[in-house]
Amino acid sequence: MGGVWHPAWRRLFFCGWRSLRRGSAARPAETVEPFLRPEWNGTGGAERGLRLLGTWKRCNLGARDPAVQPLWRPKSSNSFRRAQEEEWRRRNKTVLTYVVAVAVGMLGAAYAAVPLYRLYCQTTGLGGSVVAGHASDQIENMVPVKNRIIKVTFNADVHASLQWNFRPQQTEIFVVPGETALAFYKAKNPTDKPVIGISTYNVVPFEAGQYFNKIQCFCFEEQRLNPQEEVDMPVFFYIDPEFAEDPRMIKVDVITLSYTFFEAKEGQNLPVPGYN
Amino acid sequence: MSTAMNFGTKSFQPRPPEKGSFPLDHFGECKSFKEKFMKCLHDNYFENALCRNESKEYLQCRMERKLMLQEPLEKLGFGDLIGGKSEAKK
Repeated sequence: MGGVWHPAWRRLFFCGWRSLRRGSAARPAETVEPFLRPEWNGTGGAERGLRLLGTWKRCNLGARDPAVQPLWRPKSSNSFRRAQEEEWRRRNKTVLTYVVAVAVGMLGAAYAAVPLYRLYCQTTGLGGSVVAGHASDQIENMVPVKNRIIKVTFNADVHASLQWNFRPQQTEIFVVPGETALAFYKAKNPTDKPVIGISTYNVVPFEAGQYFNKIQCFCFEEQRLNPQEEVDMPVFFYIDPEFAEDPRMIKVDVITLSYTFFEAKEGQNLPVPGYN
Repeated sequence: MSTAMNFGTKSFQPRPPEKGSFPLDHFGECKSFKEKFMKCLHDNYFENALCRNESKEYLQCRMERKLMLQEPLEKLGFGDLIGGKSEAKK
């Protein structure tokens, strides 16, 4: 039936029924009528139909320009719409730039966070970390809290491979927070070879450790003892006056300071705890 | 150093001393001051507050013999002892 390929039917079939609205205003009966006459013998529509199948994509309701199609063209030829679309594209590009900049900024902030946090902790001293530059002013101005007496006991340990005799010279000492105190340990090298030791310390209970400040001691540095030598090792420390105001420390009356000596190999460098 | 394998509890963080480490007194130059201090402690039942003069003298000995960096005594917490012997044992 060639009638199917009548222009109007073609538009309907390929472009949808909406296309028919703009087309002819002719009534259906008038358009169909020529095909119902008996002498209609077809219009050679089969070949035409096959040819037309190839064109169904070009269902342009506006311009039917069979010329070369550009890759991107405005969705409408209306110049106002085109300007608006340009505007949208420009704004999209700006937004995309901002988003990418924020993403890169976040990545940079993640990397910068580590040294910045370190700096912040050092200035404010949060988390019990070392407060840089604060200490000597604090010692000068601190007032002893005389009504809070704390017993500090001393303990000395030696690693199995180190043959020193290491012991404290006093078992305990009574201090108050805010008062500097001196204590002594004694170490003897009974062997006939020089031995290098290095020590570390521990404060129990752990929470009190953050208030235990050592002004000077003998830890974390290599100490060399000649054969048969005996030395006194002092520890100069104080307990932070804020200890008396911490509610968690109310029950704490005894603090134990424990030193442990290890043998150090020649030229070995142990990292000092804190920030490296 | 804490070797208890507690996960979640705070562990002890050792901190380096503020003024570093005392050089060893290999020749016992300040030994007499130390003996005076220990005797004072023993006599006073290990109460530190009563022996602060002796500890101040020990540290002064160290500073004179270059076994310790020179520091004004206020910075070491002995501000109240400098005002003369009248302040005495506080």
